[in-house]
Amino acid sequence: MAHGYEELLSFDVAALGEKLKAKEISPVELTEAYLDRIQRIDGKIRAYITVTADLARKSARKAEHEIVAGKWRGPFHGIPIGLKDLCYTKGIATTGGSKILGAFKPAHDSTVWTRLSRAGAILLGKLNLHEFAYGITSSNPHWGFVRNPYNLERIPGGSSGGSAAAIVARSAAATIGTDTGGSIRIPAALCGCVGMKPTWSRVSRYGVLPLAYTMDHVGPITRRVRDAALMLNVIAGHDRNDSTSSRERVSDYTEKLDTPIAGMKIGIVRELTDNLSPDVQRSFENAAAELRALGATVDEVTIPSLPMSGVINGIVTWAEATEIHRQWMATQPQDYGDDVRRLLEVGMMIPGGAYVRAQRARARVLAEAMDAIADRDALIAPGAGVTAPRIGESRRFDSEGGGIDVVAGILRFTQPFDVTGQPAIAIPTGLSSDGLPLSMQIIGRPFAEATVLQVASAYEKARGALPAPPPLQEA
Amino acid sequence: MPLITPETVKRALKDLYDYDLDDSSALRVANTAGAMLTLAEQLSTLGLDGIEPPFGYANLMTEAMRKAAKK
Repeated sequence: MAHGYEELLSFDVAALGEKLKAKEISPVELTEAYLDRIQRIDGKIRAYITVTADLARKSARKAEHEIVAGKWRGPFHGIPIGLKDLCYTKGIATTGGSKILGAFKPAHDSTVWTRLSRAGAILLGKLNLHEFAYGITSSNPHWGFVRNPYNLERIPGGSSGGSAAAIVARSAAATIGTDTGGSIRIPAALCGCVGMKPTWSRVSRYGVLPLAYTMDHVGPITRRVRDAALMLNVIAGHDRNDSTSSRERVSDYTEKLDTPIAGMKIGIVRELTDNLSPDVQRSFENAAAELRALGATVDEVTIPSLPMSGVINGIVTWAEATEIHRQWMATQPQDYGDDVRRLLEVGMMIPGGAYVRAQRARARVLAEAMDAIADRDALIAPGAGVTAPRIGESRRFDSEGGGIDVVAGILRFTQPFDVTGQPAIAIPTGLSSDGLPLSMQIIGRPFAEATVLQVASAYEKARGALPAPPPLQEA
Repeated sequence: MPLITPETVKRALKDLYDYDLDDSSALRVANTAGAMLTLAEQLSTLGLDGIEPPFGYANLMTEAMRKAAKK
């Protein structure tokens, strides 16, 4: 029990789980280290909306008693985590990052929290996000702008911005995010951590405030690939409270993490290789070369309909979100932030026929994606086309005077795999010339999360450690 | 491109949702929705003949039984 707080914060979940099991560290001191860290730095990052310090301390004491008594529940027993504030927590404020639900305390837990809680995880608090998960900046007008730990003038991405920022700022050991157009992978890509979007239906959506029923995914955001696998082991699987949750068998997602990828076939998605910033292009090419060096065959594949994914994702999300928010838009539209209210107003103009057409088109894109991966083990693409934009930056210009819409330039890499529902992980590939994280996505066949994690793990080991973000001045 | 005017938007939102929009908001919604609907038309070119929307009866039954069980 002689670890200092800084050392405790340096361990990933896999290491912490072993040390907790061996009683080398105590859940109580570990939780205190994280609560102390939140108190010291969260004023700068604004990753948390609610900190559940009393509950965390109580849960930590309970975990300590159980572990000392030999009742170790598994790798998440005693691990301090944070939940995106879309996830219901019984009796604990669940705001959705909104003013509208500012005082809402659910009467039951989300399934994802039920499972993590049963696994012994300790809730540090509820994490900030883009309001109602409807946007990618996490510049939340009600609960504060979440900041990117690598550069406080930059956005962390979103909508799970608090979930990724907390991981990189070391104010949570693991977190939960949700992904409708990229909201797990985008903040992971821009903040420099691991974001795993499982196959649609792999993780229950019960008790998670919806943005778009048929596009929403729930998944881990972590420091390391192994941590994501361990967390997925806890949260994946059928849930009778979510009629859409899959009955597909749940693997042990850690099983293949040490299996070499030599001989595997990996396809680069051609439609996602243009309009990259020079740093992104260089880093992505290096990552592909690293996979080749590990013995994989890397070639190019095409998914011709993929460029229409933004339209499909947009129409489905617009239509479903507008239905979800119909009552609040009727009674208190002034309580939304301007950007979210504008999106919901556009959604009111989406006709039913366009919505059904977009849903039908999903099968076309998925069919082509399945063709592309049929003879391969995984696909790869950049995590984002640009590095983290400045807060408020809407367009970015290159040296030739060309410019791109940064939101569209980020979303187009992630939306396709919400449309197809395939598992996709974002993993850091390095830092740009100005010190911002760069990222690659690895995409698999539906329910082949274990393969996605295997490739990610092999790459992560070959890549080595990333430079840490600059030290945060205490708040 | 579908012709959606700010006036159309204002009237539709008022009539369908009893929702009031100012002129500049209506213009913005008209532009965005018009562009999106143009692109939505293009989805038909993907070859959607024979593709049904992915709404399954099994989920419908499960959802109904789940609601019934709560009573």
